[in-house]
Amino acid sequence: MTNVKSSSDAIRFGHTKLPAEQQKALRQAIRIEWITMGFLAVTATLVFLVLGNSQAMKAAWIEDLLSFLPPVSFLVAARIIRKPPSEDHPYGYHRSTGVAHVVAAVALTVMGGYLLVESALGLLKAEHPTIGGISLFGTTIWLGWLMMGVMILTAAPPVVLGRMKMKLAEQLHDKVLYADADMNKADWMTAVAAVAGVAGIGFGLWWADYTAALIISTSILRDGIRNTKGAVSALMDKRAMTYDDREPHPLGEKLDDYLRNLDWTVDAKSRIRDEGHVFHVESFVVPAGSSVPTLAQLEAARDACVAMDWKVQDMVIVPVAELPSEFVPGPTSGGER
Amino acid sequence: MSRGSILVLLLATLLGLSGCGAYPADPEGTLDRVRGGTLRVGASLNGDWVAVPTSGGDTSDRNVRDSDVQGKDAELVRGFAEQLGADVEWVAGTEQVLAEELKHGGLDLVIGGLDDKTPWTTHAGLTRPYAESKDDRGKLRKHVMLVPLGENAFLLELDRYLMAAKESS
Repeated sequence: MTNVKSSSDAIRFGHTKLPAEQQKALRQAIRIEWITMGFLAVTATLVFLVLGNSQAMKAAWIEDLLSFLPPVSFLVAARIIRKPPSEDHPYGYHRSTGVAHVVAAVALTVMGGYLLVESALGLLKAEHPTIGGISLFGTTIWLGWLMMGVMILTAAPPVVLGRMKMKLAEQLHDKVLYADADMNKADWMTAVAAVAGVAGIGFGLWWADYTAALIISTSILRDGIRNTKGAVSALMDKRAMTYDDREPHPLGEKLDDYLRNLDWTVDAKSRIRDEGHVFHVESFVVPAGSSVPTLAQLEAARDACVAMDWKVQDMVIVPVAELPSEFVPGPTSGGER
Repeated sequence: MSRGSILVLLLATLLGLSGCGAYPADPEGTLDRVRGGTLRVGASLNGDWVAVPTSGGDTSDRNVRDSDVQGKDAELVRGFAEQLGADVEWVAGTEQVLAEELKHGGLDLVIGGLDDKTPWTTHAGLTRPYAESKDDRGKLRKHVMLVPLGENAFLLELDRYLMAAKESS
């Protein structure tokens, strides 16, 4: 929360001044990420205290620890991207979000894979998980009850936090926040799997624990692979997608339409890369009658595009005799692929 | 069906099973077998905790008579067996031999002044620490016994007995 200066001091992403809606969303997102970390600290401690010999509990605990990565990445990146572009970094620091995303995603993948192998080996070696008693207030109860209690207690809050973050991720066009929200939303399944594993041990079904651990580690691994893919392809300058990577971002089509329909152009096509929150746009326009447009025309077109969406700020317009297919591949003129 | 609903279903089935039998249960039924039967205990010599006076008799026999085994751990085991209405069958040996035997189901319990830093955690489960002592280097040792892996009903029964014994001492 300390990273947010007084509200009169407008928040910038690089040299982009955020609109009021995004400023509010960013402040909320930062607050929710701090809440998430507080909650995770409590959860991870509680789960550690009752960890015992259950592989499923161990997997759930490691997932809790890994869940720190996305909020930390988000909070660190949210600070760094505010730096304005400099001589050494002419494109600004927006990519820090992408770097944070890759780091978090690789960590998830590695830990998910490790846990998966460990759980599978436990199942193959048929090591029966041993859970004994624990002394509480003068009586000795089965530790398994405590494990199940802790997991049930910690199941619901991440789902609520995840839903709140999902909305903010869309407003901010923030993929780290989206990945974090997505993981949180699925967190209750980890808790239920761990409870089922421990309950299974109680019934003498020693393999239930490893099965639950396999389910949990598969979900960690899946999150990791999906996020690594998304983060790496974003750093590879994949075309700008929506915040959830489901479809191409509609802004590209909107910009091209606008540029095409100017009275001094006959065709236009842009290539857009997603720098993290903001887009870098290179638009190629073909002027009518092959005449060179005036500086005023170009300036006006650029200003209109920047005004269209806060994410467009770094934009160049290049007048060309015909659209260079080597720079803007794919069907031209209204073609959607 | 989504992964979520499968999990919920699995959990419901497990909880539905809770009508039958003791909870937690032993996969190999150790507690049921020992109750009113025989408790097979491996004893590894260790100072005050487990002592077997040399009798000069037939030392090739690994089984020792009940009255031969002495020490704090042995007394606790006798009390536990009495509570279960079981006879104790003692087997003397090194930790290595006894831990292997325990792992393969030849023993129900191993004692020997062991502490919670025992390296035998891949072979056996540990009870809760029921006593503390200081070793020669002044390091605190928390004493435990070894039980078969995953025999949780038996372990819980023993833990309860040990905790009660610790309270009353």
